[in-house]
Amino acid sequence: MRNRLKVLRAERNWSQADLADKLDVSRQSVNAIETGKYDPSLPLAFKIAKVFALPIEQIFSDDEVVAQAAE
Amino acid sequence: MTCEPVTNPKQKQATIRYLRDIAVAGALYIVFVLAGALVVRHLDPPQFLKILLAIAPMAPALLMLRAYLVHLNSMDEFQRRMQNDALLISTAIIVFGSFAWGFLEEWAELPRVGMLWIFPTFSLLFAVVHTVIRFRNK
Repeated sequence: MRNRLKVLRAERNWSQADLADKLDVSRQSVNAIETGKYDPSLPLAFKIAKVFALPIEQIFSDDEVVAQAAE
Repeated sequence: MTCEPVTNPKQKQATIRYLRDIAVAGALYIVFVLAGALVVRHLDPPQFLKILLAIAPMAPALLMLRAYLVHLNSMDEFQRRMQNDALLISTAIIVFGSFAWGFLEEWAELPRVGMLWIFPTFSLLFAVVHTVIRFRNK
């Protein structure tokens, strides 16, 4: 799964620690999600969407769908 | 169990509670083991008392387990996954390692290692594996 977390965070001038505080998770977790090492659970993905005030599909996208669109 | 400073107040509180609970349970564990060893070595108690004294440290050990589970539930999902990975890897190494060592003792006549070593070895292994996993996900 791909995500735009890093871009969205940068647009708002938030550090990873800032976002982690807003999501009530560790900074390490934010970093793992941003770098694609970890895919968040559905509840956390919804929480992320709420924090950024965006629909979930504008933050997360499926790898296969992205690859198909590129072809 | 944490390598970087905890900034989230909720996590900080949970970590303090965990350290306190583990310290209390650990201190009780040491007291039970030392008291048991003293009684068994110097007073030569009856067999049933030896058995009781031998399993008595399990009570504080269960308190440690409880403290760990409470702490685990206070973590976020990614931290929990790292803990689970570390637990799984260290358990697998200990289980298959002790099994292999058993065959080495039987077939290759290597020195016998007491079961007393399993818990400290597991604890050390878990700490090392968890540190490596945390470092990789820094």
